[in-house]
Formats: sequence, structure tokens, C-alpha cells
Amino acid sequence: MGGSEERVVVAVIMVGGPTKGTRFRPLSLNTPKPLFPLAGQPMVNHPISACKRIPNLAQIYLIGFYEEREFALFVSSISNELRVPVRYLKEDKPHGSAGGLYNFRDQIMEESPSHIFLLNCDVCCSFPLADLLEAHMSYRGMGTILVIKVSPESANQFGELVADPVTNELLHYTEKPETFVSDRINCGVYIFTPDIFTAIQGVSSQRKDRATLRRVSSFEALQPANRSLPSDFVRLDQDILSPLAGKKQFYVYETTDYWEQIKTPGMSLKCSGLYLAQFRRTSPDLLASGDGTKNAAISGNVYIHPSAKVHPTAKIGPNASISANARIGAGVRLVNCIILDDVEVKENAVVIHAIVGWKSSIGRWSRVQASGDHNTKLGVTILGESVTVEDEVVVINSIVLPNKTMNVSVQEEIIL
Amino acid sequence: MKALILVGGFGTRLRPLTLSVPKPLVDFANKPMILHQIEALKAIGVTEVVLAINYQPEVMLNFLKDFETKLEIKITCSQETEPLGTAGPLALARDKLIDKSGEPFFVLNSDVISEYPLKEMIEFHKSHGGEASIMVTKVDEPSKYGVVVTEESTGKVERFVEKPKLFVGNKINAGIYLLNPSVLDRIQLRPTSIEKEVFPEIAAKGKLYAMVLPGFWMDIGQPRDYITGLRLYLDSLRKKASPKLASGTHIIGNVLVDESAKIGEGCLIGPDVAIGPDCVVEPGVRLSCCTVMRGVRIKKHACISSSIIGWHSTVGQWARVENMTILGEDVHVCDEIYSNGGVVLPHKEIKSSILKPEIVM
Repeated sequence: MGGSEERVVVAVIMVGGPTKGTRFRPLSLNTPKPLFPLAGQPMVNHPISACKRIPNLAQIYLIGFYEEREFALFVSSISNELRVPVRYLKEDKPHGSAGGLYNFRDQIMEESPSHIFLLNCDVCCSFPLADLLEAHMSYRGMGTILVIKVSPESANQFGELVADPVTNELLHYTEKPETFVSDRINCGVYIFTPDIFTAIQGVSSQRKDRATLRRVSSFEALQPANRSLPSDFVRLDQDILSPLAGKKQFYVYETTDYWEQIKTPGMSLKCSGLYLAQFRRTSPDLLASGDGTKNAAISGNVYIHPSAKVHPTAKIGPNASISANARIGAGVRLVNCIILDDVEVKENAVVIHAIVGWKSSIGRWSRVQASGDHNTKLGVTILGESVTVEDEVVVINSIVLPNKTMNVSVQEEIIL
Repeated sequence: MKALILVGGFGTRLRPLTLSVPKPLVDFANKPMILHQIEALKAIGVTEVVLAINYQPEVMLNFLKDFETKLEIKITCSQETEPLGTAGPLALARDKLIDKSGEPFFVLNSDVISEYPLKEMIEFHKSHGGEASIMVTKVDEPSKYGVVVTEESTGKVERFVEKPKLFVGNKINAGIYLLNPSVLDRIQLRPTSIEKEVFPEIAAKGKLYAMVLPGFWMDIGQPRDYITGLRLYLDSLRKKASPKLASGTHIIGNVLVDESAKIGEGCLIGPDVAIGPDCVVEPGVRLSCCTVMRGVRIKKHACISSSIIGWHSTVGQWARVENMTILGEDVHVCDEIYSNGGVVLPHKEIKSSILKPEIVM
């Protein structure tokens, strides 16, 4: 039991589960959302890589509802690749965002970490974890929350926080309020000391006591707010942060970098572009380059997997990602798109503002495009796994489910 | 005797139902689609059925073990590694279809429901002595399909015309064949079309004969035809005075209700409704022209017509669901909601009305 000098830090990444996020369909019909590639790497790789940069990081836990076998391969390969132990823990039933953490407290506390990072997998940001840790150690609270300023109009989609401008203490927290409270919102990235488990247990016991009381008082039973939440279901926002705001327990650290939530396929395309821009700043060797002579002409930020084949007369980018074993034919134009594994894009085809699913085939002179509005349902064209777009067919602002063949042009449609 | 059922593809036209189970296992009239065909084959003495599939064999195989024991018929799968069209799968399953007996074997298309007059087809095949027999059925709009032109008196097939622009006949291929083993010698193991390549070759030699299918016929591979098909199927049950049809003051027309389903007071059910196992229909509910699959709960005062409600879904109180609404597995329509042709993928909750046909992902 060492002193504070060499204690380790662990990270927990919440990855969600299959029936919960239907907003990521049709891509989630074939692959768990956390494994969907952004800028050429599975979504969950990005927070994992950020965690790896923390000194004394001992272990990374992924907590979710997916079957273990869906993550088994990923976990063993990423552990080897990044040389940091990554484990997947499956929740047997919903415990809420804080309850999930508490449910696995024994594993998380195995190496007596001094601090625990908690991150949501479907958040796209620069993950300034070292700065967050430093800020947290100066505040000395139970936890510090990463926050960002957003436009007042969009703030009510998130958790809004009010903090003391001098001490950065969290004074007030409210989840998705109807009226304006604050333009600072919860990024879904936190750091805690192990005291957080005591706080979560407190909420559980309190609820259990109230449940016992309810059997005695019939008036209590009529109160809708107390109704039917099991005692081990604890939500971080409503049950911990809101009640403990203003009690010198939680603090905030503000980031001015980019931040987005990755809830829909359209947003995943936008976030892939954000990560490509990040690579330009931090690891430009990951990005492709070419001028159309020996290699295809590259414009802006582009990722091409080493096993993909791109014809030199194609023009790629900006914001294009090409995954493993894809084949891009002569004269193809790709703009703001994600081309997934084993896709074949035939000669002279054009793909703009789209995601082309695994093993799909895009015909010669065909056109797959959309308006590029990442926030609307049909603003980015999504082709599921094994979709064939025949020669010269045009698919605009549409979603095509797996295993379909498009032999006539469509606009603004969902093809089941 | 042996039979092959062409199961083939992904059943994308029956989505969202086929997002939960492979198409042959989607229930029709309270029974998996493919069970209708397997039972008809068993009834005329087929001892082995081969399913030609090209995906999800594990899900199929579990169900098939169950049918095998219950029906005492051997069921095997022949899995295509690449799509082989409508004839290629026969070549793939060759060793399973031919035995020393030299008997002809049946080939059925899995999307088809009909009365399956297979005994009559065997008689027909013996009487003409040709190499292959196919069932044809009369339709109103032949140019949507492949038309079979036959010699009126003998039924000998003269030619096939795919989606003819001018009227050449009104009989189309019903997807039920009885073939001599020699037909397999004509089919190579590659993507091949039985209508475009194999049958025309046999017809040219004057050895292909067509029998007009008595009774109803429907390709239930898409929701609209599934609902029409249920009407035709229940109608044929009525003609046979089947005891399976429900009766009572709350029943109108032809209605099938599984014995484990519960129906409350003051309901009005029918015509053309199938209610599956473990369903609960609460009091005051109106159901017409619809299929309610296993484990569904329809809450009080709801009204459903011309729709398909997928397994374990719920329809809320006073909800109105109509006009080709298709709910996938585990979909929950909240109280008082109106759905006009909503097509809802599995595991969704519908909290606001769907005023015009729309896909909810």
C-alpha cells in the first residue's frame, strides 16, 4: 500500500449495448457501434488511445451490454497493439450510468487506483485527460467533469451545468432542461476518486430504505418520483451530480476543443472528419498523400488502409476514410465519405457525403451522394452491408439496408 | 421420395420481420412458413426434405431438429456459398436428391402458399411420362411474372415468356415442380435460372408439362401479398369446413386463434385474422385483416386492420393501427397512437402518431 507517489490510475469506458441505441441503424445491424470505424479506427479506439497517454495507467475496462464474444477479438488485439490491458465487462442487467460503475467496483479497485476516469464511448473529442487529472488534483473533490460551451439553443439536448467561475466548483446540474439554465454542458468525460463508490452506495441504500418505508406508508406509494426504480439502478446525472452539486464535491474543467456526440450514422461521418483533422495535427503520418502521378490525388485529410487499392486516376478527399481491402477504381471521386472493408467502387463512380457498407459494390458511373447535413435523418446517404448499386444508378439522400441491389435511381428514400 | 425447398436469400422484402428470423421461419397462419410446405410433403410420403439456403443455417437448424422429431421426416440443409440462382441449388444438392429408386423429386419455392395438390401432381406426372412437371396458376396480371405458354389439351409446355408486354397467356409458374432425376444432368453447379435456362431446354424436347394448380396460390414474400395470402388460406380452410377456424359471437368471417391466446370481453375479431400463441387481446378490441404473432398484447379498445404485428409487440389502449402497418419484433405502440402504414424495425417504442406511411428505424 504505497503512498500517493506511485498509485495507479484506471479508466472505464461505457460502450452501451445492442437494443439500446437504435439510432445507429442500419450500421448497427451488422456491427456493435463502439467498433464502427472513425478515421480508420474503431470508435472505442479513440478514447482508449487517449487513456494510454496517461502515465501510470494500469487498466482500461469496457463496460456494456453486448455479448462477450462480440468484444473478445477486439479486446485481445487492442491489448496487444497498444500494450495496455483492456478488459470487457458485460452488465447482466441495466444498473444506470453510475450503477454500472458500482456493479464492477471490485474489478475496478483491484489495483487500488487513486483515480478512475469514466468516459462514454460515443463521445468524439480530444480527450484532454492529463489536463483533467491535473485540474482534479488541484480541486481535491470527489470528481471533476469535463465541460464545454455550446450554443444556448442546443444546450438543452444535454446536461447543463453551472460552475463557480473562481473555484470551478459544480454549483448546479440539470439534465435536458426545458428552459435555459446554462450554455456549459456535460461532455460525458469524468475523473473520480474511489469515494464515488461510497456516494453511489449511499443512493442505493437511501432508495432501499424508502422502498421499505413505502410498504408502511400508502401516501409514499402515490408519489410518482419514487416509483419503481430498483435500488441498484443509479444514474450519474440525476442521482449523483444533481443532488451533490453545490456541496464542494464536484468540480468542472472546461475544454475549448471540438466535442460531438456520435448517436447517428450521419454524425459518425462528421466525427470521422474531426478525428482525421486531429491526426493532421498530432500524427500526420497516419494520413494519405498523393498527387495523382504514382498515387491517387489526395485532397485534405484522408485515411487509406494499407491493404486498400486505389487507382492513381482516382481523386480522394477531403474527409475520406477507406478501410481494409477496399478497391477504388479508375477515375473515382470520393468526398466526405467512409468506405468500409471489402467495398468495390468501380470506374468513374462518385461518392459524396455517404457511408458505404462492408462488401458493397458501387457500379461504374453511379453516383451515391447526399446533402451532407449530418444532423438530419437522410442528410448522409448510408448503404448497409453488401449493397450493390448498379452501373449509372443514382442514390441520393437515402438509406439502404443490407443485402439490397439498387437497380433504379432513388432520392429521399429508406430501402428496407 | 425426396423434395428440395428453395429458401435462398435474405428475405429483404419481408423486413422488418426478417430482421428477427430467417424468412422460412416467419409465421404465416400461426405456423412457420416452411412448416406448411414440409407438412404437405410429409402427407404424400416424402421422407427427406432438403432446404437450399444461403445464410443463417444455425438458426434454421435448431428449428429443423424440432420439426424433424415432431413430423418424423428427415430435414437437411444444403448451403450455397455463393448465390446459385433458381437451378444451381439443385445441382448442389444432387447427392441428396437421387437415390437408387429413380423416383422423381419435388422442388418447391419457399415463398409460395397454396393447397399443395401434390398427389394429383404425381398422377399427372406419371400420365404424361415426360421428364418434368410444373404447376402453373392463373393470374389477372400475367405481365408481372413469367408466363408459361402451353398446349391446351395435353398441358405440354411450348415456351416461357418473361414479363410479356403483349398478352400471350395468363398462366404463370407457380413455383412447384416434380422432376425426374435426369433433369439434374442438365444443371451445372453454377448460378443458373431454372426458368430461363433449364425448363426451356426441356420444353424444346417436348418433355415439360404444366398442370393448372387447383385452389388458391400466393407468393407471400412481401407484406401486402402476405395479408392477401392469409385471406385466401383462411378461405380455403372454410371451404374444407376446418375445425381450426374460430367461432363465436365475437368472430366475423374466417379467423384463426391459437388455443393459448386469450381474448377479452366485447371484442370483435375478423374477418381474415390470425392470432398466434400466448397473445392477449384485451376487452373492446377490434381486429380485421391482420396477423398478430406470438406473445403480442393488444390493449383495451385498440383497433387494428390490414397490418402485421410482430412477435412480443404491444399495441396501446385506444391505438389505431391500419393500412399495412408492419411492426417488427418487440415494438411498443403507446396508448392512443395512430399508425397509418408505419413500418417499424424491432425494439422500438412509438410515442407519436405516424400519419402517413413511413419507415421507423
